[in-house]
Amino acid sequence: MKETRLSTFQWITLVTLRMLIGWHFLYEGLAKLLKGNWSAYGFLMESKWIFADYFHALAGNANVLAVVNTLNIWGLILIGLGLIMGLFTRVAAGGGILLILLYYLCNPPFVGLFYSIPMEGHYIFVNKNLVELGALLVLIAIPSQQYAGLDRILYKLVKK
Amino acid sequence: MNEEEKSKSPGGKIDRRDFLQGLAGLPVIGAFALAALKQESYRRAARARKAAAAEGGEAPAELRIALLGVGAQGSVLLNSMLKIPGLRFQAVCDIWTEYNLKRAGNLLKKYGHEAALYEDYREMLDKEKGLDAVVIATPDFWHADHAVACLQAGLHVYCEKEMSNTLEGARRMVLAARESGKLLQIGHQRRSNPRYIFCRDLLLEQLQLIGRPVTAFGQWNRSAAPDLGWPKKYEIPASQLRRYGYDSMAQFCNWRWYRKLGGGPIVDLGSHQIDIFSWFLGVNPKSVQASGGIDYYDKSTHEWYDTVLATYEYETPAGMVRAHYKTQTTNGSLGYFEQFMGDQGTLVISESAGMGSVYREKANAPSWDEFVRKGYLTEPKLVEVKAESESDSLDVRETISPDEHRIALQFNDPYHKPHLENFFGAVRGSGKLNCPAEVGYESAVAVLKVNEAIEARKTLDFRPEEFKII
Repeated sequence: MKETRLSTFQWITLVTLRMLIGWHFLYEGLAKLLKGNWSAYGFLMESKWIFADYFHALAGNANVLAVVNTLNIWGLILIGLGLIMGLFTRVAAGGGILLILLYYLCNPPFVGLFYSIPMEGHYIFVNKNLVELGALLVLIAIPSQQYAGLDRILYKLVKK
Repeated sequence: MNEEEKSKSPGGKIDRRDFLQGLAGLPVIGAFALAALKQESYRRAARARKAAAAEGGEAPAELRIALLGVGAQGSVLLNSMLKIPGLRFQAVCDIWTEYNLKRAGNLLKKYGHEAALYEDYREMLDKEKGLDAVVIATPDFWHADHAVACLQAGLHVYCEKEMSNTLEGARRMVLAARESGKLLQIGHQRRSNPRYIFCRDLLLEQLQLIGRPVTAFGQWNRSAAPDLGWPKKYEIPASQLRRYGYDSMAQFCNWRWYRKLGGGPIVDLGSHQIDIFSWFLGVNPKSVQASGGIDYYDKSTHEWYDTVLATYEYETPAGMVRAHYKTQTTNGSLGYFEQFMGDQGTLVISESAGMGSVYREKANAPSWDEFVRKGYLTEPKLVEVKAESESDSLDVRETISPDEHRIALQFNDPYHKPHLENFFGAVRGSGKLNCPAEVGYESAVAVLKVNEAIEARKTLDFRPEEFKII
């Protein structure tokens, strides 16, 4: 594996970005878990654009919805832990991208689509989900876990 | 390769640097855990508060109850009472023997109560022995005779509001309660509603959430409705109706509209909410002016005002509060609620569970975050600030809309249940009545004066001694 050469400041910036995103994922998951009765139902039913039928179908079947809810909650929590601790970082970042892509495609901020779920800002094509997705791409491209994260130790143990 | 690059290369030994940088996420997880735990504790406080309202109780000694009047309102009370443990329904009395009385008797039978059925309340009071209490839900003009007779028979009484359609009748009731030493609860049931108690005692009194109160408003809007009918085969004979004070079956069914029988919508609806003005503001009104009329319905069958607007002045310790009340029986929009405005916030409360919010005046009120953390209020509702005009910019002179917080306490029982429980609790010797005769009387004085003010077409003052019975 080729070494990435960055200055300490550059490494720290990247690690900080990773932890910020991890924190966000972790609390999104934990808050839903603690709420007890959280469900993606409302969010899925709001879906618009060409994948709407697919998302509505997920929401429409109680059993499928229960699986979706569980996967989402634990996906968020595990990805968050992975990003903060720098453990299986690439897998976590990839999983994060997949989740965010689903959120984005479920309710895309496209021209002419209007939602009844209130949003805390104003978006056209680009919303905060997409920005976070872009940041995760950076984390896949540049392995901050080489500098700080459990992967650094794991890497050495495996290669020994 | 410098030192750092060496340490990152595979196959090397795990040194101190690897160890520290490898575990860089741990303090972050620690900080996260602290924050999440704290946040969760606030959420739990809110949930505990919610659950506390719903908790049940012990199995109390059985009380023997008679029902006097089981029409529409009597049925509402009966259905609430059937959810209260420790009551034995021993007798029911209603002059509509073929309809109301049979229906109530059958309902009670379904719940395992063998109640004796009576047409005449005097006969019931003569024959039924061992009764503890009577629940009266007859038309207003009967309240005084019924309540006084029951009290004199040594029974505790729960009597629907309005206490009476005349102050003379209400006065007799207060005196009978005093002389008999028995309890007389008047059915202003909001006084026992946990949401109202929460708003009054905690939000307004203890936390002074709305600051200095300045105005109050209340309304009860009802859609236009035809007169109530009745199944012809169950019609009460004219002679029997006359014996009990009614001219006709139509009058019997629609007694609320007749001057000698009831007090009209301002009394049926308004008295609940005008009672809240006095209760929340802590004083009786100083004056009232009112406008009203029979504007919509047929005057020959509707003797009381179908539309009333009344304005009260309350001299509270904090200063003058002006309170406006409106009842209209021709349009039901926006329903019924009471609203209190102070310089720091607004409280909107209704018996209807869908309403119950406080609005923080951002310009003058301190932060309410603490009350959200303690679970008194929900977090503010997201409000999108937007310009209403085409120019698409916010006018700086416009006040920002206040944050809306919902009252966190929920209440899902039948509306009358807590007030009835309060009464039965007091009968058993635990706790005081929330609306004893004297309080019901004060409320009747405040409300009945509205009809006087409409006729007089001027502001009428209350003398403080008007509210007292010596």
